[in-house]
Amino acid sequence: MSSDLYREQLLDHYHNPENFGVLDNADVDIEMDNPTCGDMIHLTAHLDAEGRITEVMFEGQGCVISMASSSMFTEAIVGKKPEEISRMGLPDIQEIMGGVRLSMGRVKCALLPLNAMKQGLKEAGKL
Amino acid sequence: MPLDVAAIRQEFPIFERKIHGKRLVFLDSAASSQKPRAVIGALMRVYTHSYANVHRGLYALAEEATEMYEDARAKIARFINAPDPAEVVNVRNATEGINLVAYSWGETNIHAGDRIVLTELEHHANLVPWQQLALRKGAELAYIPVTEAGQLDLAALPPLLEDGRTKIVACSVMSNVLGTSPPVTQIAAMAHAAGALVMMDGAQAVPHRPMDVQALGADFMAFSGHKMCGPGVGILWGRSELLEAMPPFLYGGDMIRTVKRDYAKWNEVPYKFEAGTPPIAEVVGLGAAVDFLSEIGMDAIHTHEQAIVAYALARLAELPWLHVLGPGPYERGGVVSFWVDGIHPHDIASVLDEEGICVRAGHHCAQPLHERFGLAASARASFYIYNDKDDVDALVDALHKVVRILGR
Repeated sequence: MSSDLYREQLLDHYHNPENFGVLDNADVDIEMDNPTCGDMIHLTAHLDAEGRITEVMFEGQGCVISMASSSMFTEAIVGKKPEEISRMGLPDIQEIMGGVRLSMGRVKCALLPLNAMKQGLKEAGKL
Repeated sequence: MPLDVAAIRQEFPIFERKIHGKRLVFLDSAASSQKPRAVIGALMRVYTHSYANVHRGLYALAEEATEMYEDARAKIARFINAPDPAEVVNVRNATEGINLVAYSWGETNIHAGDRIVLTELEHHANLVPWQQLALRKGAELAYIPVTEAGQLDLAALPPLLEDGRTKIVACSVMSNVLGTSPPVTQIAAMAHAAGALVMMDGAQAVPHRPMDVQALGADFMAFSGHKMCGPGVGILWGRSELLEAMPPFLYGGDMIRTVKRDYAKWNEVPYKFEAGTPPIAEVVGLGAAVDFLSEIGMDAIHTHEQAIVAYALARLAELPWLHVLGPGPYERGGVVSFWVDGIHPHDIASVLDEEGICVRAGHHCAQPLHERFGLAASARASFYIYNDKDDVDALVDALHKVVRILGR
């Protein structure tokens, strides 16, 4: 019994997410939801003196796609500068998620952590 | 006489295709239904043989198109037992029909301090237009609550009618989430006794059961052609004295009798409400859909769906991790909304899609209703004439797969 979309890698991240939690004294602290489906993410991040992301954590609830995407996103963006984050889009997220091909209806779920991080960096004055 | 579903499926070309290599199991007709050859053929005939603008031309082709368009209006009127085809207004969809009433009737008749009564199970289409009207006018908005069993708590209505401030009650004839059929006849009688009108949302009812707007005591009813095998067109029915008294909603061509530089006079109903070139072929197509459904028989369709929904509820009851929203099989229309412990409805829909099964997942344009049940979203299977028990079996098999893949 297999699924093209719900491959092992995504399910592992969904069931056992990386970087799940909240950072103290975070430089970026943002909550974002997707009210149409109830997905919610709370992202916190530390930035170093040069503005690079040194640590990211997330907590939240939602579908496999949004939660796996969040888990993999927090691993992938360490070391990146805010400008690099702002240039990221769906192809980057699909690549981070192991090259999964998302249907139109699921794109919003996958983009939740990226959109939250962009908004969080803006609100923190880093973008 | 039971429906010959195999024969009916033959009438729908879409069932010839595969989805991800699997048989198409279409369980989303409550969102929009598939189209039979009769309707596709009617659209083809209009465009290849009889097309011209209506109500204007002085040539044979225009007269033919006008006749087809008005014949369809008369068929649609008979289908819902409207006393006069002039009470049938062609609009874009049920949503536009309700907006027409909320703007045209509402702007004229709702004032500060008036009350508009809705129910907690309304689709956003029969909720947001009234909510916004209330906000514009400083009117009060009140909701008839939904019980845990998914029924309207009708005891809440009399107190809302007592002071005479309620001017309209807006109520769905069938919930698109719960499948509940509110007692609209009773609601209409209570509202009328208190001097209020009733706007019925028939989007989920008209495609699935015999409809008689007079017997229900409706003042307005809106429904969508695309949910009843027809093209993308909607219908607003209203009692003629109400439509006569209402100002136009949209202004422009065809809706006028005369236009001077400084003023204009309006055409008679229903044309007063059909500004601009109408969806000519779509209305003719809806006439064909009405013929198609009538030939099968609306009683037979209703009975068929009752049997499927009872079967679906029995099969879904085998799944201890699955929870169904709403009432039991009695008095439930052909929709079953459900959720599964720990699995997001979007993930359910995505796994089912891989099996060729189309269900809706989300709030189904009924956010306040989901809020009432403490849910952000649910998954929904809805049934129509081309669905049979094999579709329910496919759904149950695929739900097992959902849990095998996504369960812990």
